[in-house]
Order: sequence, then C-alpha cells, then structure tokens
Amino acid sequence: MSKPVLVIDGLTVYRETHLAVEQVSFAVQPGTDTAIIGPNGAGKSTLIQAVLGIVPRQSGDVFVLGCPLSFQGNLPDAVRQRIAYLPQHFWLDRRIPITVSELVGLGWDRMGLQLPWVGRRTRHQAVRNALAQVEAWHLRDQRVSSLSGGETKRVLLAYCLVRPRSLLILDEAPAGLDLRSESDFYQLLYQLKQEQGWAILQISHDLGMVRRNCDHVLCLNRKLLCQGTPDHALAPEQLSLAYGSEFVRYHHTCQLNHKL
Amino acid sequence: MTIEAEFTRVIGLFQLPFMQRALMGGVLTGLMGGLLGSFTILRQLSFFSDALGHSALLGISIGLLLGLDPSWVMLPFAVLFALAVTYFLERTHLWTDALLNIIYSSSLAIGVILLSFRDEYQGGITNLLFGDILAVQTADLIFSVLLLAVCVTFIGLTLRSQILMTLNEPMAIARGVSVSTQRTTFIVLLSLVVGISIKAIGVLLISAFVVIPACAARLLSREFTHYILISAGLGACSAVVGMMVSALVDLPSGPSIVSAQLAIFLSAILVSKTHISPRGV
Repeated sequence: MSKPVLVIDGLTVYRETHLAVEQVSFAVQPGTDTAIIGPNGAGKSTLIQAVLGIVPRQSGDVFVLGCPLSFQGNLPDAVRQRIAYLPQHFWLDRRIPITVSELVGLGWDRMGLQLPWVGRRTRHQAVRNALAQVEAWHLRDQRVSSLSGGETKRVLLAYCLVRPRSLLILDEAPAGLDLRSESDFYQLLYQLKQEQGWAILQISHDLGMVRRNCDHVLCLNRKLLCQGTPDHALAPEQLSLAYGSEFVRYHHTCQLNHKL
Repeated sequence: MTIEAEFTRVIGLFQLPFMQRALMGGVLTGLMGGLLGSFTILRQLSFFSDALGHSALLGISIGLLLGLDPSWVMLPFAVLFALAVTYFLERTHLWTDALLNIIYSSSLAIGVILLSFRDEYQGGITNLLFGDILAVQTADLIFSVLLLAVCVTFIGLTLRSQILMTLNEPMAIARGVSVSTQRTTFIVLLSLVVGISIKAIGVLLISAFVVIPACAARLLSREFTHYILISAGLGACSAVVGMMVSALVDLPSGPSIVSAQLAIFLSAILVSKTHISPRGV
C-alpha cells in the first residue's frame, strides 16, 4: 500500500480555554475521499484548521505527505503547493477588485518572496487550462464578486486545479448553493478527482452524499467516535453516538420518506 | 494678469529649490500613500492610518519636551505606537473603530496638553495640524526616497501573498503565508510613511493620502494589480495638481493636494458610472 498523504496522531486542540478536539488520530490514503461528519460545534473546522496550521495545536503529530507540521504551523513550500484548502463560505468582500483569472493565478503562485512577473507565461497557460477544465474560461475577465454561487465554486475548483495537488481539504465546500448547483458541484468535483487522483478530506453535513461518494468516514464530536467505511460509520448505532438517538430516528424517517 | 504671465510666474516659482523640494515631497508621499493605501482600505485599516496620524502629535510633543528634534522622534514613536495598537486590538474584544477612536482622541488630547508646556510652540500648532509642505528638507526627501524603495520592494516581492491574505487569511495561511509577519511588516511601513509625511501634510490630513487615491483607484479598476498601480499613480498626480493649484492661486499646499484628491475621486465616480459595466463593478 502506498504512503498516506495525511497522518494525524493524537491531535488535541484548544480554542482559547475550550477543548475543541481531543486525541484524534486517523490517516488519509492517496486518491481516497474521507468525510468528517458530526454535529455543529463538534470541532470539525477546528480539526482541519489545525491540520493546515491555521490554528495552533496543543499536542499530537501531523504529517502531510510525510513531512511533519511544526508547532508553529510550518511546512516546506513544496508540500504546501501539493495541498489546496477551500474554507467554509468563501465569502469575498464585494469591494475587492479581483478578476477570475487573477484568483485562479493565486492558486498557481508560490507564496515566498519572488518578483511578480516571474513565470508569467507558464502561469497564464496553467490558469487557462484550469479554467477550461471547469468550463469557466469565458469568465476569466469578470470580477469574482459578480459571479453566481455556482460559478464561484467552479472558479474555486480551478484554483485547486491550477497546479497538480495530492490533497484537497474542503470545509463544507458547497455551502450556500441550491440543490441543483450542489449536485453540479459534486459531479464536477468527482470527475476532477478521478482525472487528477486527488485525495479529499472534507467536512460534510450531507450524509446521503457521504454514503454515495466517500471511501472513509470520521465521526467526530470533539473526540473521534468512530471511523470506517460509510456502511460502518453511518450505521444508526454509530450515528446516535455522535448526533444523539433523536437525530437518527429523524434521519431514518427522512430516508424512508425519500425512498417512498 | 494674463494667463501667459500667470504661467510664467508658476514656472518661476517651481525653479525655487524649496518649491522643488515641496513638489518632490508631495509626489513621494502620494506614491507611498497610494501604494500602501490600496491594501489599507481593503483590509479596513483606513481608520488605523487616521489614528496613527493623530497620535503623531503626541510623538512630536514628547520629542519637544525631551528637547529632541521632533521629526526624528516621530518615526520610532509612530512605529512603536502602531505595534502597540495592533497588539492591543488583537487582544481585546471591543469594536476596532471604537478602540481606535479612544486611542486617537486621547493621544491628540495628551499631545496638545504637553505642547501647552512649551510656549514657543503655541503658534506652530497650525503647522502641526495641517503641515507645511514648503518646509520639506533634503534629508526628508532622501528618507522618503529610501522608504519608497523599501515599500515597492516589499509589496513587489510579496505581492501574491499580500493579495491572497487580503482576500482570505485562512487560505493564505494554508498556502504557507506567515500572515502575522506580513501584517506586522505592513503596519511598520505604513506607520513610517505616516510619520515621515506628518511634517509636510499635518496630522489631520495625512490619512487622506492613504485613503482617497486608493478609493478612486478602486472605482477605476477591475484587476487587483492595476488597482495598486493606479492608486499609487493617482496619489502622485494629485500631489502635482495640488501643488500647481496652490502655487497658482496662492493656497496652502497640503489642503490643496487633498482637494485635488477629492476632485480625482469625484471624477472617478463619474467615470465608473459611465464606463464600467454593472457586471464588472
């Protein structure tokens, strides 16, 4: 078996004085899709922010592509280039002037010190290819603030796509979309995942989507309550551990109604 | 007097060394203010630059009381003050604008009280409030040129990180940007720009150099990189226009430049209404 893209071992994170994530351990294998599920306030966003070094961790080890994440949140540049992160609600201040191709170009750029015109031609070509793959090349000169929700998500996928990546970390990526746009988003995401061989670590509230698409599920409520295949982790007895038995009864009633 | 004679008079004025220094000082402040201002307004720090400007009066007063040259006390004071305010803002849970209001009004008040102990500065308070661009010295110009070079180098080399962290800080951190280092460096440069420009522009008007050209540039640009360049360019142009008008009609130079900035901003509103499609704005 090839090396995991992400290994988390005994991760504990405090938010101010509040224990948000406690002793969480798991691994993400290359090319697989891992979902983190759990109720609101379960520490899902905190967990992935700690994995990326956005919030500091109290203890535990994080290895991204085999490299340890330091307690100051540092990773080598080459590793940072191989991961892409889309936060929950990518909310852009409408007053910021930025075009679609500039935003996608930022996905290509190295973030260290460099002259702004270095690699201009390669960058342009990469942006062009990425936008073409998500069928958004025609939007290249539009302001990001003028895009619809669905268009914005497509452009953000181009931001991930503009360089070869090994791991995508998505915090409720389709949040804010209507049902139709959400289904379009997932269709495009999984098509690109197939083509690019991405591993995905995503937070989701959509248990139906998780059941259909994910290979591995982490059930989190501050602690990791269970993990495994969707069939195992989404079984009623496991879900009631995370969400409480009321939720499970409701969820199953909804599913039954849906099937009828 | 004919227009031709007026023109000759203005040209003659600009041959005087102090006017040349004033013009260069205005252009340099316009360039630096516009360059850093483009990020300052998007990061909602415009009130911060205002607070820095007002607090400079406190720096000057402390310098005078200690018997030191106020221009050189002001620079380290501005930097320390900015870092202290940033530290304070990050660690309290009050509203930023309310806190900045407390800081700038109290530093202005304490500054004026300290000045009252120095009788000879009573008359000079107008100069401190509104600046005296004609008093710009060669040493100030040299420092401004060096500071402009540092600002351009910093923004140029970290441009991508600056843009990404302006858009979304968590995304920038996930890409390896050290947001706190970048933010602190930016604040230090902004405070140096404000500190060096106080003598020429005054504590009340300095934030206009940071805010107005950037707002005008925002109305005129679609792309981020163009926006930064236009902002710096408008800062420099307004300084030239303002100085010309001030020489032509014999008006105070700092307020003339700020009025030129306002005229440019109003024109930018008109141009953006007529030339830029609704989907683009």
